[in-house]
Amino acid sequence: MLKPMNIEATDTGKTHRWGVLVVEDDSRARAFFEASVQRSASLFWLGSAGTVHEALAWMAQATIIPDVLLVDLGMPDGSGLDVIREAVARFPGCEPLVISVFGDEENVLASIEAGAVGYIHKDAAPEDIAQTIVEMKAGASPISPMIARRVLAKYRSLQLAGTLAAAPPEAALGNTTTAPSLLSAREHEVLTLIARGFSYAEIARLKGLSVHTVQTHIKNLYGKLAVHSKSEAVFEATRLGLLSHPG
Amino acid sequence: MFGRAGRALAALWLAATLLLAAQPAAAAAAEGTIELRRGTVWTTVDGATHKAPVELSYHWDRQHGGRPGYATFELPFTLDAEPEVPWGIFVPRAGSVLEVWLNDALLQVYGDLASGNGPDYAKAPLYVPVPGHLLKPGENRLQVRIRADSARRGGLSRVTIGPATPVRTDLFESAYAWRFTGSVLLTAFSLIVGSIALALWLTQVDAAATGWRRRDSLYFWAALAEFCWAIRVADGVIAEPPLPWGAWGVLMATCYAGWATSAMMFCYHLAGWHRRPRMRWLRWPMAGVVPGTVVATALALHREEPYWLTGWLALEIGFVALFVGAFAVATIRRPNVGRLLVAAAALVTLGFGTRDWLVIRLSDAYGETTWVRYSSVFFGIALLLIVLRRFHAASVQARGSVAALAERVAQRERELASTFAALEQVARDQARTHERERILRDMHDGVGSHISSAIRQLQSGQASPEELLRTLCDSLDQLKLAIDSIHLPPGDVGALLAALRYRLEPRLAAAGIQFEWAVDEVPDVKRLDAQAMRQLQFLLFEAISNVLQHAQARTLRIEAEAPAGAVQLRVIDDGQGFDAQQVPRALAERAAAIGARLALESRPGRTVVQLGFA
Repeated sequence: MLKPMNIEATDTGKTHRWGVLVVEDDSRARAFFEASVQRSASLFWLGSAGTVHEALAWMAQATIIPDVLLVDLGMPDGSGLDVIREAVARFPGCEPLVISVFGDEENVLASIEAGAVGYIHKDAAPEDIAQTIVEMKAGASPISPMIARRVLAKYRSLQLAGTLAAAPPEAALGNTTTAPSLLSAREHEVLTLIARGFSYAEIARLKGLSVHTVQTHIKNLYGKLAVHSKSEAVFEATRLGLLSHPG
Repeated sequence: MFGRAGRALAALWLAATLLLAAQPAAAAAAEGTIELRRGTVWTTVDGATHKAPVELSYHWDRQHGGRPGYATFELPFTLDAEPEVPWGIFVPRAGSVLEVWLNDALLQVYGDLASGNGPDYAKAPLYVPVPGHLLKPGENRLQVRIRADSARRGGLSRVTIGPATPVRTDLFESAYAWRFTGSVLLTAFSLIVGSIALALWLTQVDAAATGWRRRDSLYFWAALAEFCWAIRVADGVIAEPPLPWGAWGVLMATCYAGWATSAMMFCYHLAGWHRRPRMRWLRWPMAGVVPGTVVATALALHREEPYWLTGWLALEIGFVALFVGAFAVATIRRPNVGRLLVAAAALVTLGFGTRDWLVIRLSDAYGETTWVRYSSVFFGIALLLIVLRRFHAASVQARGSVAALAERVAQRERELASTFAALEQVARDQARTHERERILRDMHDGVGSHISSAIRQLQSGQASPEELLRTLCDSLDQLKLAIDSIHLPPGDVGALLAALRYRLEPRLAAAGIQFEWAVDEVPDVKRLDAQAMRQLQFLLFEAISNVLQHAQARTLRIEAEAPAGAVQLRVIDDGQGFDAQQVPRALAERAAAIGARLALESRPGRTVVQLGFA
């Protein structure tokens, strides 16, 4: 099912062009995404996979690191979450986006915790899809008020438990020692406004920030959520005796 | 636990029996002593004095028919030589008051010979030490002068004189122990048993459930019997009673009768006769024993004619004998340990009582003591045993009912828990059913209706692709809103508006409509449940959809505020407007369903759809 890669795309265009890999079981959707990517001057088409298995095989043999990964969660032979995890582990520069029909919080949050940096709507217009990808590479991350609300609720419960900062398993991960505080005050402020329905532009105006700064806050937050979910898993595993205590 | 108490009581009984059997052995004469039996007596009764030889013991009441008077006993004895060790005189019984003289020297005074009906020194044995120089070889003369009150067992027993060592240590001290110390111990025992019974009577209140009376009268009669007996026995220790002999004598006889009556009442309850109407009459003759005794004793003492009391006691013993017989028969018919013990004690006591009556009231024997005082110990032990058994049974029953109660409570708890679980299950099922109904209605009203209108549009062939696209987009938007509504906290209108904006803004932007967001932070509207939240979503979707389709507006503004806590939502557009009198039916119905006040105003350039929550 692998499509041939569009190799010429890399050296045309003055700005940097991002290579896109699509993992999607619906062939019409694949074609739609391919068309959207091909039409954009900032993107080039790396290929697509119709099953989890194909996607993992593609990544195992990849010669070109994908800059962007579009993943549908509901695959015939497994979950797109596995593809996201593998991609993030294998290619640190790769930024996965989840293809979602509804942008519903359950799936989106699960994807973000697996390492995705955002999501795109399946029913978006073709030019919107390319634009979302480019904006994401420029530092933006879409977030819905429902997801913001959910993240805030989670943050509140974590604060209540007060376990995050003190959790020793952070050390076991080595590179995740920066995780202690999930939300900075500014991030919290931005999230609260998003949960109340304000757009990035409105928030930027209200808070005297640039839109880009607002977007960066959200993207950073996504990264923290992924890291936090990892440390949480390690903490749980240590607690359950699956891992030996680092100390 | 009770078995141990029972064994302890049995051991006590055995010990009492052995002590009783051992008593006569203490009366054996000692070596080197002289027992004085014969002499001369001068008696003065009602002013007349007689002289006569005397053979001790001398029982005053028997000699003079209850008349009070004086007597001087002269008891000669001969010594071979002047004694080298100290001597003493042992008087087992003498009274009521007396003086002891030896060779015309006054040795000891017990009470005042000049006044009668006061102290009574006949109750305890006496010991008088003899100064060495008073005894001389040859003829010696011991003189005992008494004043005897009526019916007080006055007189003089045989007197023993001899070296202090056997007389004092063997004779006097053992007699004193039996008469005086015995009385103290018996009194203490009776007081203890009585107090236990009284405490039980006072504290064991209940037990409506067991069918008993509020207090168990068995305990009361046990306590009364023991207290009467304690006073009666204590008299043996009190040489100088607080009342004159007449009143004191009546009181003591009354206590004796009270003891007998209470003991019989105890048996009466123990046999269960109080529950049998045919036996109830027994209470009257039993109650009669006490006043009868008071009258008979008062007569005997006042008139100084002891046979009144002797006769009455005979009657009383007869009645008690009948009662004990009946009780014994009842016990044999329906035996249990308690009844058998009490029946045995009652028979023994009856036997001893009869013996005492014969010996003390009729015979000339003097210096004898009553036996009933000892047999009453059996009675006390049996009584204590019964009382303890009764208490034990009651407490076992109480423990049983506490356990039963706890079991019932636990049973109720289990029932409640299972009922609760069943109710919870029903509630869960109901919630699921409601949820299913809601989703079905949702699909019918939202996606279903949009898809069916898309199909109709296709079938009619008249719809433009733009119209068809809008219908399908509406359908997908409805689906997204339905998914959002699943997670919307009930009442959180702010979250609902935010999600609505997020879903619909791309459509507005695509339609070239400027969007304005003027949503304050508003409090939750408590009465909006999940269903009502969904209705509100539909309502707002409808209003915005109308603007999209018909208004040809350039700007759409959403406002939310809560002046004075009442939430108000407004959808405002600058389109062409419509006839505000013609309220779209879908809007009106949904607003009514969630209890929101719907207000429309419309003119070209400004249309406001307002929802108010009071």
